[in-house]
Amino acid sequence: MEKIVELKNLTKEYHKLRAIDNLSFEVRKGEILGLLGPNGSGKSTTINCLLSLLHFQKGSIQIFGKEMMPDSYDIKSKIGVIFQDVAVFEELTVFDNVDYFCGLYISSKNERKKYVEEAISFVGLQDFKKFYPKQLSGGLLRRLNIACGIAHKPELIFFDEPTVAVDPQSRNNILEGIKALREKGASIVYTTHYMEEVEILCDRIIILDKGKILAQGTPDELKALANIEEKITVEVNDLEKELIEKIERFKYVLDVRYLENRLVIVYKKGQNNLEELMDFFKKNHVVYNKIFSERPTLNDVFLELTGKELRD
Amino acid sequence: MTVFKTFWLIVKRYRAMIFIYTILLILFGVINTTNNDTSLDFTDSKPDVYLVIEDENIGLTKNLVDYISRQANIIDSLSVDGLDDALFYREVNYIITIPKNYRSDVLNGLSPSLVIKSTGDYQASLAEMILKRYLKTQEVLISSFRNEEELIQKINESLEHKTEVLVTSKLDSATLNQVTQYFNFASFSIMAIIIFIVSIVLSSFHDFKVSQRIYVSKMKRNTHNRYILMASFLYSLIVFVLFSILGLILFPNVLLSFRGILYFLNAFMFTFVSLSLSLLISKLVTNKEAVSGIVNVVALGSAFLCGAFVPIEYLPKSVLRIAHVLPSYWYIKGNEFLKLTEAFNKDSFLILLENFLVLLLFGVFFLFFNHQVTRLKEKKN
Repeated sequence: MEKIVELKNLTKEYHKLRAIDNLSFEVRKGEILGLLGPNGSGKSTTINCLLSLLHFQKGSIQIFGKEMMPDSYDIKSKIGVIFQDVAVFEELTVFDNVDYFCGLYISSKNERKKYVEEAISFVGLQDFKKFYPKQLSGGLLRRLNIACGIAHKPELIFFDEPTVAVDPQSRNNILEGIKALREKGASIVYTTHYMEEVEILCDRIIILDKGKILAQGTPDELKALANIEEKITVEVNDLEKELIEKIERFKYVLDVRYLENRLVIVYKKGQNNLEELMDFFKKNHVVYNKIFSERPTLNDVFLELTGKELRD
Repeated sequence: MTVFKTFWLIVKRYRAMIFIYTILLILFGVINTTNNDTSLDFTDSKPDVYLVIEDENIGLTKNLVDYISRQANIIDSLSVDGLDDALFYREVNYIITIPKNYRSDVLNGLSPSLVIKSTGDYQASLAEMILKRYLKTQEVLISSFRNEEELIQKINESLEHKTEVLVTSKLDSATLNQVTQYFNFASFSIMAIIIFIVSIVLSSFHDFKVSQRIYVSKMKRNTHNRYILMASFLYSLIVFVLFSILGLILFPNVLLSFRGILYFLNAFMFTFVSLSLSLLISKLVTNKEAVSGIVNVVALGSAFLCGAFVPIEYLPKSVLRIAHVLPSYWYIKGNEFLKLTEAFNKDSFLILLENFLVLLLFGVFFLFFNHQVTRLKEKKN
């Protein structure tokens, strides 16, 4: 598949602190690549280096097959950026804001008007065209921020944590919008520290920590790295110690924890684990409130790789 | 053109501010026009003098006392013990003590000293001038006329001799005064209106998040900056033209003349300085809330220190010394020079040119400083 972005051995240091350490990855045409990592892992620094907003000490960046430089205006013309912070003019209406940022790329007035209308419709702000940013809610403001970044129909779009401090409904709208952009042919780099978002959105994921790649692959490939198959959680009162010890001796059980009336059993692999457990409870007359099974999450992968939670 | 258009859209949001400053200037101009008081008229002034006469009040001594009584207001309601207090409280400006034997000493060719106490102010200087005039005349005539009566007669004849001075001027001093006051006040309006709008609009473009977005865009940074500069210059030009038209409406007779062109030229130079200063402020201050505070400090402060509200001749010397470092001072100085200049010749043009040059240097200095700040900021980012 065609490589849109190719980053090789990128190293960025702030004084003596190494923010990015020999980072290499690529973005393929038409994919959504997720950069996942806790705060300070180097996600935004990577994006800023890719956009030539930051100088770096080592490495090379190629976008659309050409070296990315601060004056690579032909490359910049095909890029859209949605920064983490909302970057709009307080004094301009929704329409004028989108028109201004689109105008930095498209000079034809008629063409631009069409693009601006389309971008506003795309993010669902048709009814707010004459509103000023101060009159918009946090979620709508984020949507305006996105419209300003995509109005010129870029081929490569960088989303830097676009859903921070956004309500669930707006977050879903934003994620659906990003999927739609991919369907229209854009390649997307998406950074976040919300693992649920990358799981449902990204074709490939890179997990970053301290400026290094810990793992990369499709969501399923990464989950395989967690070395666990299934996790069963049971809400049960006063479970005897003897019964817990018996569960620990089940064939595929890796770990059992019982805390505050919640029993969490982690299975290495195997099938019908839930059925086996329910039979066991029935035989031993254990009454439970809720029981549910889940597949490993990216947090489990992160835990497995670093020994700490992703949101630490 | 999108940058240019956006500049004006943001300006439009602050039109109320522009309106307020313009109305202020119109009000000032109209009030000024209805006030016909001419400050260039001469008025007679007499100092308050107290005389302590220790000599016998006859002959030359009496003649001196009579002369001072005619030229000054003689205060005689003070007690001798309270003279220092009277001076302190400005109840009297000048105290002259005529010593014992003054008359005989003068007739014998000696130069007896008078004891003087003074407040040191303008009125006291006037009293000193009166006294010196008398003593100088007496000193000159004493060598020629030893007879006391003849000497007194000659002294009085000399002192009564008056030279008629006729002050002629083709200038309509009252209107010129109004025009100058209008342009002086305009220094506040022009500076405030340009700094406020240009700084606030540019701080929107210089906002870190917005400028990042501009930087990653297809538009070249220099092209973007050029559009902003063009728009700022056009805005300043419109402010200058607006205030010039207002001036023309209020004072057409003076301003539709060569002198008027020089007033406009001076205002144009000041507009350029205000623009360059506002470009610098917009680089230094990114917080929009702080801009109105800066306008008050810079525009209002300059106006007070340099004589935009209070005529420059009433300002203390120490204040004027400080004002030299402010562009408003040189602009107002130019206006005052235009008010007082009878005829324009090479010398007066040189003075004006020097004034314009100082304003130009201020503008260039602010632009240079702005450039350095931009470079530093870019390096830092």
